[in-house]
Amino acid sequence: MTSGTESVAPEPRWRQVLASLTPDRRRVLYAFGAAILVFVVGDLLHSGFASTASVKAILVIASFVGFVAAGQTFVILVGGIDLSVPWVLNGAAILLVTSSLGRDGRAAQAILLTLALGLVTGLANGIGVAYLAVPAVVMTLGMNGIMEGLSLGLSKGLTCASCASYAPKAVQNIVRSDVLGVPADLFLWLGIAIVITFLLNATTFGRRIYAIGNNDTAAFLAGINVRLVTVVLYMLSGLFAALGGIVLVAYGGQATLGMGDPYLFQSIAAAVIGGVSILGGRGHYLGALAGSITLVALVSVLLAENMPDWGRSVVYGGAILVILLLYGRERRHL
Amino acid sequence: MTSVTQAEHYRSRSRFQHFTIQSAPLLLALIMLAGMAALYIGLFYRQLSRLPGNFEWTSVVNTSMPLVFAAVGQSIVVVTRGLDLSVGGMIDLTNGLAATHMHAGTGSMLAWSLLVLLIGGAGGAINGILVAYGRLQPILVTLATLSIFQGLAIKVLPEPGGAVPLEYTKFLANPNGPWGLAFVVLIGAAWLVFRRTRFGVDVFAIGNDEEAARAHGVRVRATKVGAYVLAGMFSAAAGLFLAATTTSGDATSGDVFVLTSIAAVVLGGISFFGGRGSAIGTVAGAFVLTLLINVLFFADINPLYQSFFQGLFLVVAVLLGTLIRRLVGMRG
Repeated sequence: MTSGTESVAPEPRWRQVLASLTPDRRRVLYAFGAAILVFVVGDLLHSGFASTASVKAILVIASFVGFVAAGQTFVILVGGIDLSVPWVLNGAAILLVTSSLGRDGRAAQAILLTLALGLVTGLANGIGVAYLAVPAVVMTLGMNGIMEGLSLGLSKGLTCASCASYAPKAVQNIVRSDVLGVPADLFLWLGIAIVITFLLNATTFGRRIYAIGNNDTAAFLAGINVRLVTVVLYMLSGLFAALGGIVLVAYGGQATLGMGDPYLFQSIAAAVIGGVSILGGRGHYLGALAGSITLVALVSVLLAENMPDWGRSVVYGGAILVILLLYGRERRHL
Repeated sequence: MTSVTQAEHYRSRSRFQHFTIQSAPLLLALIMLAGMAALYIGLFYRQLSRLPGNFEWTSVVNTSMPLVFAAVGQSIVVVTRGLDLSVGGMIDLTNGLAATHMHAGTGSMLAWSLLVLLIGGAGGAINGILVAYGRLQPILVTLATLSIFQGLAIKVLPEPGGAVPLEYTKFLANPNGPWGLAFVVLIGAAWLVFRRTRFGVDVFAIGNDEEAARAHGVRVRATKVGAYVLAGMFSAAAGLFLAATTTSGDATSGDVFVLTSIAAVVLGGISFFGGRGSAIGTVAGAFVLTLLINVLFFADINPLYQSFFQGLFLVVAVLLGTLIRRLVGMRG
């Protein structure tokens, strides 16, 4: 982040740095602050909650939300939304196990095939939204149904012979093997976060995304191919939903029906908690990353507290509201 | 097209053309309903060599009613340019409350129906206040309250079960005849009145242009709260109808209505950009969705592919709607 380059001054340095940040970047910091706060409170309530092993386990689960939220962030940045996440993810997970049949030799092809599935669904979403002017909510809602039907129908309700296959060991290792004492999956997440942050902040493609999100007419008049960029973003969203399916099946071993359902609302909530404006044009992936960690850590604290299902659901919704009220409000009218 | 030529277009249209363009989405929804009903009758006849009778139509009406109510509530919010995802949680909660607390006897049934509607209104008020006074985006507020309502529903009814008095089922979802249509007529009449009240005009004004509405003295925030309160009450009514048709409760059975209510609104021709549409179209949209499930069944389509055809139908219907509206608009 942008620290350290400011000139020396007598006032507290942190305050200067904070003041020098844009509101969007401050929101990213708040999101990280919220994540850390949840860990601290969790550790106070439940000693050992912030231990290395526990933090690692929570971060791995947060990465699943984080991958899906990456795609969601891209489309939200241009004022869109992707409701097709649950069954693109679920279909991807089923495709991975059925095409690899659990063999390491087929892992690479299976992963490529699965990611291609994500890209194709995203392409269809993007064409519908950008070229055929179907509202994003409708297009991606329809696509979710289409993918649900195809996943259920082609796998015969997940009763097909190859449907019970496990993810290849090589794929399972993404989540299960440690590199330098840290799960490989977390390095993948870090790498993706760096690439996306670079893409959004230091490339013309990234600037185009923000331009479209702020005002698509102005962006069009400035010579940006708004439709093409939109299609690419929906493809990225599909790609990341498929990636979410791959790591989730790597974690659980097998594909299950409905495994993608929690990831729709969690991916949107993570992005928004991280300061990504649902109206488009504002926000950073690092915020969504912090939002994913906050959400998953919060659920973990509630689980550690043995809070019943219903209480978790209520606290979860309440926490999102509190965070939104703290910094998700729009400007006052007039 | 520049604004000047648009304005000229506007003036050059006749009254009849205006009416057609304004009501095109509603007409399309009704045509779609007629088409879907014809398809249903045709497929039914091919399979059973007779026309669908009282039993079949009653079942179509009774299974449609919860969606009709949920979707009409959703329509009011969508007209203000909002979205209510908490519909599902509110139906879970109210359905659970009805199944656990309602006892035989007119007093209990009436009291609990009213109480459940009030709870729906209160939930809607929370949404509305957070949206209007909290200045939060509707989709995010209702995402959070969806989770809260779902949690409360599980608290009320941890496992599927409970029961609704038989007389209640007879009243709301009479299995002997499509009497539920009486409620549809009531909704239609209420909508026509609503459109002519100050509140109704304000709701549409906000959806068309919030700033302009504010400048014209519309009490934007209060009106928005009102819209969400109504939506909450309609969701509660949907929960009651669901309890009546299934004669028991399930704290997760309302979840599907988040997406189906949006689908019905879309098929009903209500614009997602606010300020346009009719709840009568939404009612047609809700019936289209129920009929579609029956059509797929009688077309011998593997039920596993049901969502595929529903999703495809939604996208294609919206595409066709856009196309036809463009053609109609261009003629003017």
